[in-house]
Amino acid sequence: MTSATATADMVERIVAKRSKARITRSLIYFVLLALAAWCIKTTIIDDTDWERIGTLGAVLKSIGRFVDVDWGLAPNLWKPALETVMVATLGTLLGVITCVPAIWFGALNITPYAPVTYPIARLMMTLSRSIHEIVWALFFVAAVGLGALAGVLAIAVRSIGFIAKMSAEAIEDLDPKPVEAIRAVGGSEFQVFLYAIIPQVLPTVVGVIIFEWEINIRRSSVLGLVGAGGLGLVFFRQLNTFNHPGVTTVILAVLLLVLFGEIVSYYVRKAII
Amino acid sequence: MATGTAIKPDRGPPASPPREWRRFKYPQSLYRWLGLLLALTFLSYSVVYLGIPLDRFINMFGRAGTLITDRYYPPDIEYVMDRDYLASVFDTIQMAYLGALFGILIALPLGWFGSHNMTPSLRFVYPVARFLTMGARAVHETIWAILFVTILGFGMMAGVLALTFFCTGFAGKLFAEEIEAIDVGPVEAIRATGASELSVMIFGVLPQVRVAFTGIAIYTWDVAFRAATVIGFFGAGGMGWYLKRNVLQIETTRVSAILLSIVAIVLVSEAVSAWARARVAKAK
Repeated sequence: MTSATATADMVERIVAKRSKARITRSLIYFVLLALAAWCIKTTIIDDTDWERIGTLGAVLKSIGRFVDVDWGLAPNLWKPALETVMVATLGTLLGVITCVPAIWFGALNITPYAPVTYPIARLMMTLSRSIHEIVWALFFVAAVGLGALAGVLAIAVRSIGFIAKMSAEAIEDLDPKPVEAIRAVGGSEFQVFLYAIIPQVLPTVVGVIIFEWEINIRRSSVLGLVGAGGLGLVFFRQLNTFNHPGVTTVILAVLLLVLFGEIVSYYVRKAII
Repeated sequence: MATGTAIKPDRGPPASPPREWRRFKYPQSLYRWLGLLLALTFLSYSVVYLGIPLDRFINMFGRAGTLITDRYYPPDIEYVMDRDYLASVFDTIQMAYLGALFGILIALPLGWFGSHNMTPSLRFVYPVARFLTMGARAVHETIWAILFVTILGFGMMAGVLALTFFCTGFAGKLFAEEIEAIDVGPVEAIRATGASELSVMIFGVLPQVRVAFTGIAIYTWDVAFRAATVIGFFGAGGMGWYLKRNVLQIETTRVSAILLSIVAIVLVSEAVSAWARARVAKAK
């Protein structure tokens, strides 16, 4: 075979592969679109009570009730906002403490006995992540009563999954050379852990924890809906007393709080890593 | 020095012991301790401020244990095998699909406009896109659900809209971050040919991020499904409504059955999403 025919052959193969990929892709798009059309039909068109919604004007009018800010409420929001941040912080901390065993069991290279401990850790992570924080809060309100403690516990349990998963993955990607180096100069197991493992995973783990803290502010701002205090409780009260401008005020407060969390997390991450 | 000590071994130990090696030197270590102290003060203050009863915290394990064994066990599996309940699970999946789809469609332009390196106008479009993404993300999905239920009434449409907002914020941020991490070479090459901003986006950026975007889209659906299981709690359709009804009626065995069904479905959805993402990454 000459080189010219070989090249032509190769080009032909690439073109054939591409056109096949294109057909598969358009087929996937078609299926996704058909599915979407069917879902729109059943969930939106059939299920909605269009009479209740009425005309576009009526919808705009009910949206319009929210377009106002109740400034009189603002001074009363400091305390619940502080509570929300505190619940998020304590919850994250408790989550970090409780997820240590999950990290230990869940990283394949350090898990004590992989056939048993690894599935246990994966189950812990999945349980924690798959159950929504509202549901966890309901459970803990039943267990420890109304108040901030239920919120802290809900946040903690909900944080375990993400922190443990990311940290375990970071430990699995560990570079073994520093471990060997510390061992070679006669370091104890604890020193190996302190000087070879921690410095390698710390930037990732701290980044994950701060990211989770930021998300937890968002989460703890709604836990009041099920009786765990904070901004969610104020939101619930404003809505139930039909004070719609007040609802907008609380949402703006949540926005500001999350923005504050994002700024803090940006600077802390920059300072530590 | 070294040779000196080697010649006279009877001198005994050196006058000053070797300095201990430290990872952090003086000013840095001070900042670290101060930061730690500040954090601890804040934490202990918040325990006091929130009035957290620590004794209750210690008793909690026993109480939670008896709560589970006495009330939540055994789960009422027959209840979740009911036809109506399974139909609501199906509704939840549909809601999550639509919410994720709409959210991703809105997030695509938002991700473009909100990426620092590719935005058409850094002064006007970029802040607006960033603000929209952040606003959609900052407000929790349950709050969106409550708002849409208030405006549009009970039903799945409110749920789909709430999930749309949630997914817009979620995917928009990840899309923007992905675009910010691209290689600028192809972009400059296409720009040098005099292409418009849209062509630069389609031929310079999209081929680079397509695989990552597909992965993010699948992940968004996964997250949307988890959120969808609960927004029904506030009247936005799906299985959350069953959860609320049984929680209010204190039908605890049914609640535990519903929770188990949520865990099972989320496990399946997570496996499907992991499989699909692995497929996409391989098909690069």
